[in-house]
Amino acid sequence: MAKVEATVYGDRKVYAVSAFNRGVASWLGRLPEVWVEGEVTELRRNEAWATCFLTLKDPETGATLPVTIARRTFDGLRLDLVDGERVHAQGRPGLYEAKGALAFRASTIERFGLGDHLAALERLKRALAAEGLFAQERKRPLPRFPRAVGLLTGVDAAARGDLVAAITARFPPARIVIAETRVQGAAAAKGIVRSLAALAAHPEVDVVILSRGGGSFEDLLPFSDELVVRAVAGCPVPVVSAVGHEQDTPLCDLAADVRASTPTAAARLVVPDLDELTAGLGRSRERLGAAVRRRLAQDRTSLARIADRLRAGPRLMLERRRAAVRASGGRLRVLSPQATLERGYAIARSAAGVVRRAADLGPGERVDVQLAAGSVGARVEEVTP
Amino acid sequence: MSEEPTFEQAQRELDEIVDRLERGDAPIDDAIALWRRGEQLYRRCIELLDAAEGRIEELDRSSGPAGE
Repeated sequence: MAKVEATVYGDRKVYAVSAFNRGVASWLGRLPEVWVEGEVTELRRNEAWATCFLTLKDPETGATLPVTIARRTFDGLRLDLVDGERVHAQGRPGLYEAKGALAFRASTIERFGLGDHLAALERLKRALAAEGLFAQERKRPLPRFPRAVGLLTGVDAAARGDLVAAITARFPPARIVIAETRVQGAAAAKGIVRSLAALAAHPEVDVVILSRGGGSFEDLLPFSDELVVRAVAGCPVPVVSAVGHEQDTPLCDLAADVRASTPTAAARLVVPDLDELTAGLGRSRERLGAAVRRRLAQDRTSLARIADRLRAGPRLMLERRRAAVRASGGRLRVLSPQATLERGYAIARSAAGVVRRAADLGPGERVDVQLAAGSVGARVEEVTP
Repeated sequence: MSEEPTFEQAQRELDEIVDRLERGDAPIDDAIALWRRGEQLYRRCIELLDAAEGRIEELDRSSGPAGE
């Protein structure tokens, strides 16, 4: 490496441009190699060139980094890269001395594909599961009558309309607080976390629907972002992860308290069915009325019984008295002297009264004889004491 | 008795008369008089009972049937 010489003017050391560039290049060249991840853009490869050029873009922030790689090395990797693909590049920074331009000099490039994403997600999933973030006992019951439902959706999500329609169809007076945020792209995860916190902080929101929509694997990536998953698990109000395809399971679904696969299912989870509620109230009211009527009927029956007894009382008393009087009457009949006379007996009376002994009479004495009908006067002819 | 006896008075007297006749110690003339009086009292009692029953039926009709 050529020595970097400076010219001295008084107390000032001054480098020529090429000397400065050489110095920086030499310093950069001593840095260790590192791996950098980014999206491929502006890939330029030409058979006539010894070097391939491409730009790596940070999908989160849009920051870019020029990358160079020897064409022979690049061809040897057989990557068939196209713009937009995510790669890991190994290398160190270098300086194009003629222009003082910084570039990342890659010694190798690897595609960071779907499989790698999946593997990374799987590692995150295992780590979060080990922390207990997805545990069943963490799941909270949803409120039966939320004061307001928080709805987190993408800016132009069709899912939002479907969800609002499903919720209001089931429970027309529902209050829905909507938070719109970007759910795709670099800044999505942070936006989702912020919106979720804002909804949970709303004084009336008792449950939040995280409407993630369906979409490609990449579209759903923000919903598996560690920040989002932790925010969902730590949300102060229950979270329903809603609407997507059964086969997608972004990690936020595992952290949510419930998962719903359709707008209707989500609505069923967060609000009661007003019609059912009304019908239930009606049934309760009917039962209440029936109970009261039954009670009333019982009371009426017992009152009727008492009234019957009340009315029967005097009659019963009358019958008893009548029976007593009849018994007395019967006894009186038996004792009737008239009845005795009717059987053929007669009563004989003298001047001294009723005659009981023959010896009390003498021959020729007058006797009145009373018969059942009428009486006769007679004289005693003989006495047989 | 100058005034019409109440049912209770009439019944009590009737029972006394029957008791007395059953004992058989009344002279025959008294017995006949007692018997006549007994028959009178019996009719009086029956009259009073019939009148009371009539009043009860009248009340039943005016207070209507039980229930409802």
